[in-house]
Amino acid sequence: MSHKWGLVVDLDRCTGCQACVVACRAENNIPTAGPDQSARGRTMQWIRVERTWEGDFPNPKIRFQPVMCQQCDEAPCEPVCPTYASYHTEEGLNGQAYNRCIGTRFCANACPYTVRTFNFYNPSWDMPLNLQLNPDVSVRSVGIMEKCTFCVQRIKSAEIQAEAEKRDLKDGEFTTACAQSCASKALVFGDLNDPNSEVSRLSASNRSTRLLGELGTRPNVTYLERGTWQDAKNS
Amino acid sequence: MERRDFIKISALTGAAATLDACRAPDKQLIRFIPEDNLIPGIAVLKPSVCTLCAAGCGLDVRVMQGDAEVVRGGKQGVISMGLAKKLEGNSQNPINAGKLCARGQAGLQVLYHPDRITKPIKRSGPRGSGQFQSISWDDAIKELTSHLTSLKASRSSNAVAFLARPLGQQRRQLIDRFLESFGAPPAIWYEPFDEAVLRQANLRSFGHAALPTLDLTRADYLISFGADFLGTWNSPVAQSIGYGEMRRGRPGRRGKFVQVESRMSQTGANADEWIACKPGTEGLLALGIAHVILSQKLVSHPLAERAGSQISGWSAGLPEHSPAEVEKQTGVSAAIIVRLAHEITSSGSAASIVGGAPLAQSNGLFNALAVNALESLIDTGRDGGPILGFTPGPPLGNRENPVAPPKSGFAHLNAFVQSALGPASGAPQMLMLYEANPIYSAPPATRMRQAIARIPYIVSFGSFIDETSAQADLILPDHAPLESWLESVPESGSLQSVINVAAPAVSPLHDTRPMTDVLLSIAQQLGRDVAKALPFATFDAMLKAAFVPLRAHKGSVTAETDDDFWQNLQTQGGWWSAPPSAGSKGATNNSTAAGRQAPTAVSAPEFAGNGADFPFYFQPYLTPSLGDGSAAHLPWMQELPDALTTAMWSSWVEINTRTGEKLGIQQGDLVEITSQAGSLRVAAMLSPGIAPDLLAMPVGQGHDTFGRYASGNGVNPLSIIAPITEQNTGSLAWAATRVKLARVGGPEQAKLVMYAGQMSRFPHNEEPR
Repeated sequence: MSHKWGLVVDLDRCTGCQACVVACRAENNIPTAGPDQSARGRTMQWIRVERTWEGDFPNPKIRFQPVMCQQCDEAPCEPVCPTYASYHTEEGLNGQAYNRCIGTRFCANACPYTVRTFNFYNPSWDMPLNLQLNPDVSVRSVGIMEKCTFCVQRIKSAEIQAEAEKRDLKDGEFTTACAQSCASKALVFGDLNDPNSEVSRLSASNRSTRLLGELGTRPNVTYLERGTWQDAKNS
Repeated sequence: MERRDFIKISALTGAAATLDACRAPDKQLIRFIPEDNLIPGIAVLKPSVCTLCAAGCGLDVRVMQGDAEVVRGGKQGVISMGLAKKLEGNSQNPINAGKLCARGQAGLQVLYHPDRITKPIKRSGPRGSGQFQSISWDDAIKELTSHLTSLKASRSSNAVAFLARPLGQQRRQLIDRFLESFGAPPAIWYEPFDEAVLRQANLRSFGHAALPTLDLTRADYLISFGADFLGTWNSPVAQSIGYGEMRRGRPGRRGKFVQVESRMSQTGANADEWIACKPGTEGLLALGIAHVILSQKLVSHPLAERAGSQISGWSAGLPEHSPAEVEKQTGVSAAIIVRLAHEITSSGSAASIVGGAPLAQSNGLFNALAVNALESLIDTGRDGGPILGFTPGPPLGNRENPVAPPKSGFAHLNAFVQSALGPASGAPQMLMLYEANPIYSAPPATRMRQAIARIPYIVSFGSFIDETSAQADLILPDHAPLESWLESVPESGSLQSVINVAAPAVSPLHDTRPMTDVLLSIAQQLGRDVAKALPFATFDAMLKAAFVPLRAHKGSVTAETDDDFWQNLQTQGGWWSAPPSAGSKGATNNSTAAGRQAPTAVSAPEFAGNGADFPFYFQPYLTPSLGDGSAAHLPWMQELPDALTTAMWSSWVEINTRTGEKLGIQQGDLVEITSQAGSLRVAAMLSPGIAPDLLAMPVGQGHDTFGRYASGNGVNPLSIIAPITEQNTGSLAWAATRVKLARVGGPEQAKLVMYAGQMSRFPHNEEPR
């Protein structure tokens, strides 16, 4: 049976530490924009931690929410791409083919989650910071759209290894960079087609919800709602 | 284990060696012989230790072969070598169990930083001008050794000073032994936000001069007084792991968490309830809660004899700390105090911790002792032992906590400054410096800059030029941590004893040498006592001698021979004792051991600056990204949006939204903050998460000298801190400075960079809590 990759984000476990943000940056060769370009809104992140403030002193509330590409089953970014750079893979991912992308940015326009980032300029690394670049991930150039891929390089690498060893992939054998770093285990990645996987079990929780699910995008990221003071029962 | 001895320069040959076909032949780089036995494209994982904070998490370094442009023997060329690509937590390490924080990930950027000092250099212009010239290692070491030799001959006991940030156990011992056998005073272990107050309190309350370890996986209730335990306090990764389990790791059981602080931290943002308390009165709040528990007899177990005995009035039930009285002093209502007491004691396993600003007050020790007393009262030790415990010391050598400096680094630093500014006969003649930056982080009133200017000869071993190392006359750059033999004995974070030991994960990129080996070789050249005290040619030889005796103790590494043990130790990245068995955690922290001190009377906090002239409290705070400023040079950390404000590459001051409105200050305006010690100008960030009479600024920016990514960025809040100290320990009371505030300009002058928009308030019906 083929895989269908999914992610669960448990908002009751997330502490807003952003280890996921830096782990993703390191794994996926995402350049830093610097202060000037950042001031122009061109910081690139494939995963971001949103924070929403409510209320006022002395009872302010803040909620952290990690947001990444939702790998939608009905991805709005796919039909609008004139070159099929944004396309759907057999394993349920929204793929981004860098060398087909011509930079129309229709996909980012269509995406309701604002998870697609664009290379407005050629990224550069002050030497020798370039030595850190991950050879398993393409380095993108100007005019290319990019976004979270569920660490497809890790997926492919694990699949190739399992095939070479003539066995199935085990749940938890590998994971995305963000989930690997997450200390409170708020992020869980795995195969939704495996009913015994951790991600399948958590996705079925009674706390589960989808981000902007009412838009019909059918995301493969499931959010588990934060608990409350009176909450004694678990998912 | 120096690899440079067998790197040979291979001659350029016609067909081979070109790196880049586009380069003209005369610009082709020499290609050196490959070093490691790595298969291109295949990654290996090598264990290491994270050094970006004191927690001591274990690392797995993903190493792959790649080409690096390097300089060898003065010639530029290309070498195929193992390159560190990604850092992960070491899944076996009991402290972090495979997890890693945001700052830990950025250790890669320390290694490959463009501003690293790549070879030994000697000052060629005036001090602080930044003018240096190359010097060979041989000449540099000769120069340093000859200075030391002549100072040793002078028999002046104060002549040589060593100033460093707190280091791992063996590294510290190496330096301590060097200095002691040389006849120099002990090293000054200094970091701006040290935990001397908490260690002192824990010694008095619990008998351990150490930071605590929390077993949150068994906790039903946690009340934290100012401790940013999910962000910057103590062992954040270990604590975050426990926190996740406390919330959702036990079906049917969700732990509750209350944070008491006047400025919402990243940790406080996750609390079920957030309580603002007047700065410096957090200890009183804890005693108010304890009063209710004692007077209403809400617990039936023995009443925290040891920790309670540190608070006067405890045995009488704290008559002076009724909820009504405590409400007057703290601003927290009596109703809340009573409710908290009932909730804590009806919640199963509960614990209470303290850290951060409450300890950085003049009455910091009192606040800590008070919270510790509450903790002892509520953390009953049933169901497997208390939530708050202490990491057992390693089974060898000194059983005393091997990490904690004996006294406040700040007090020690002040003593050093006094001697440097005093009569020449008693003043230090040489300063050796390693990764401490007090010119940046100590309050200006400390007169660090003046003290350093008086010292005739300064040598730095650090890898970067910062405000303090820029004053050096000679720089002998250390390897980066991932290129070094590393060891640490984490003070907290696990109930197993943990010793991290790691071999270098990658070969040295530049012409650097390990500080440890340089000192060892100088020790041999100095001869006599110093050579005898340090009979090791290399640091790994010293580590091997220190840790091979662990083989006799039951733990995670086993072997038939000492050599095998040493190998296996490196492969695992360390040694840890067996996990504590279920029943063995029964001991509580309520021992009535002898040696207790007399109870501390309640002390009110004192502040620098009176309330009329300086109407605001001022709180500098640590961020997970920049820490105390020592990670400000890392671009990943500069570009990490602040968790609460999303600001990056900037400084800001958090001002309560209503306060801002009253003073006509709008989001992003330029404001001036003035204390008795100075003033600064910074962008205003209006926030609902801060008390109306408090201003808070993140620490870490405001470097004028710390590489291209940090220099000239933002403002340093420590520059306006008054030199007020905690009255018992002499630690810097960095939260005890009062300030005044005025708008001086608009957003176009303030240069605030944010990832998202301002902290908005959405109209929203309060949900029941």
